[in-house]
Amino acid sequence: MNFNTIKIIYLKEMKDMLRDRRTLVSMILIPILLFPVLMFGMSSLMVKMTKQAAERVNPIVVLGGDNAPFLFSQLQVDKSFEIVQESDYRAALKDKRITAALEFSRDFEKKIAAGDSAQVEIYYDAAEIRSEMASGKLDNLFKAYQDSVVTERLKIKNVDRSMLHPVKVDKENLAPKEKMGGFFLAMFLPYMIMIMALTGAMYPAIDLTAGEKERGTLETLLVSPASRGEITSGKFLAVFTASLITSIVSTGSMVITASGSFARFEEMGRGAVFSINPLSILILFLLMIPYCCLASSVLLSLSLFAKSYKEAQSYLSPLLIVIILPAMVSFLPGFELSPKLAFIPIINTSLVLKEVLLGTYHWGFIGLIFLSTTIYASIAIFITRRLFEKEQVLFRT
Amino acid sequence: MIKTINLSKTFLDKKRGEIKAVVNVSLECQPGKIFGLLGLNGAGKTTLMRLLSTVLKPTSGTAKINGFDILTQPEKVRSNIGFLSSDTALYPRLSAQETVAYFARLNGLEEDSIQKRSDELFRLFNMESFRDRRIDKLSSGMKQKVSLARTIIHDPQILILDEPTLGLDVITSRNIIQFIRKAKDENKCVLFSTHIMYEAEKLCDEIAVIHQGKILAVGTLEKLRDSVGLKNLDEIFVKLVGEVHEF
Repeated sequence: MNFNTIKIIYLKEMKDMLRDRRTLVSMILIPILLFPVLMFGMSSLMVKMTKQAAERVNPIVVLGGDNAPFLFSQLQVDKSFEIVQESDYRAALKDKRITAALEFSRDFEKKIAAGDSAQVEIYYDAAEIRSEMASGKLDNLFKAYQDSVVTERLKIKNVDRSMLHPVKVDKENLAPKEKMGGFFLAMFLPYMIMIMALTGAMYPAIDLTAGEKERGTLETLLVSPASRGEITSGKFLAVFTASLITSIVSTGSMVITASGSFARFEEMGRGAVFSINPLSILILFLLMIPYCCLASSVLLSLSLFAKSYKEAQSYLSPLLIVIILPAMVSFLPGFELSPKLAFIPIINTSLVLKEVLLGTYHWGFIGLIFLSTTIYASIAIFITRRLFEKEQVLFRT
Repeated sequence: MIKTINLSKTFLDKKRGEIKAVVNVSLECQPGKIFGLLGLNGAGKTTLMRLLSTVLKPTSGTAKINGFDILTQPEKVRSNIGFLSSDTALYPRLSAQETVAYFARLNGLEEDSIQKRSDELFRLFNMESFRDRRIDKLSSGMKQKVSLARTIIHDPQILILDEPTLGLDVITSRNIIQFIRKAKDENKCVLFSTHIMYEAEKLCDEIAVIHQGKILAVGTLEKLRDSVGLKNLDEIFVKLVGEVHEF
């Protein structure tokens, strides 16, 4: 194998690739835009929805309101509730005309005033988000009422309120602010970056193989003095570069987007500061190298087998699912790395990336996963190389 | 020169079973000669040429190109031939100049000789006006010119041209015929396939008739006339093929 020939092929494929609009979109534009759009879109949607929910007036039915004139009058002035008349509250709840119904027991407030206990029933539909929220608001209302009643009663008996809480529990979050920021990122980033590394390399892989077959340029290349090994290497390196560029761009975009939205979290007083240790980023890219190699050669092999662009796309779409599902383990709480899992491709990378982003460096696992993924990638590259030598694959009719 | 020795190629097709595309072909094409390969569609012309260009591997037999064996020295073989067929298209996103330079580099030419040689070829084929235009913006005649330039950028001694005039207009076809004649004058060995009889009649020093993978007859036009007893090449061809083929 001549490295100069590989370089010639690689440089030409890169030039060709960078002139392809589809590749540029999937390799650079989508990774840049996806995260900001997704994050800002989602967070502003959530803010809007919460605001709407807070302002919304909940129609409710009150049964036995005469038993609790004070609470009833409070409900009447409360802007988040509107008391309506319905003969059958169950039907009204089912038809979503009301969000909840209340039933005060007989002599509710009289019993309370006498120092007794009384009952109020809330009817709601837990499968309806609006009803669920209305019941929560009613809950809070009664808790506040109960609190005031208790305080009143204690006052009469001359007992201090602290009597009720002999044990004071104080919780302090000792996680460094970086870890809090990393926690959110550690869930999303491994999954996202692994998918993006694949989708970014998808068009180039198809274009360089099935695309060449379809356009009839593959044979032109095959009759040149370049050997099959040199052709495979050049093409592989080009697809690998695309995969790596997509990973870098998407990581950058995600980190920047996340620091933007975490800054907003801090305004809200949640105290998550977004910052990632540069060492984590370095290890992330180190681990992404064998993964991108693996992804690139699998993409190349599958699309080389296809006769046309369309056929290649139909082979690669299922592959996306094969990657998405295992990569999702980074979302699962309590799914930790183990020596066995360190050998399962994709799952191992996803889990170790999550750990690394959280600032935990298990060097043994990092080394093991780097090594095992490198071995899988080498096998995949070897298969790709063999496929390039098979005329049944190159000239499939 | 090209020398094939009992060259055979069999394909396995799931539906049709074994297909003998090339059967025991032994041919010799000399430098300074134009060798025509005549056959119907599917006769085995393209497969034979793909074997010679080492894109396909023979099932049995071998061939020598300028003394290099297609089985053991495929890379040497490829650097000694210029191969052109309807299946060797060009990269649409590269310019004419980039295309020619790319194949020059793959053939091991140095940058300064690439410049010199491509200047020469762009002038020769009158392609200077679209030198920096992308391939996907060129007409089919222009593309064929770029293809020719790509084929001979490394000045190969052997040209293998698979139906080079297929689907081209009269002017472009004429250019290609002129190009083949010129190559002969430069003492190159030209193997070209066609199913256009008058093209073969005008150009070829030697003709081989191929049918169902087998060579039915080979020789100069005179020799073929004598052995078959007919004058026109199309009559000779129909007679030869008709003996084994039911129309």
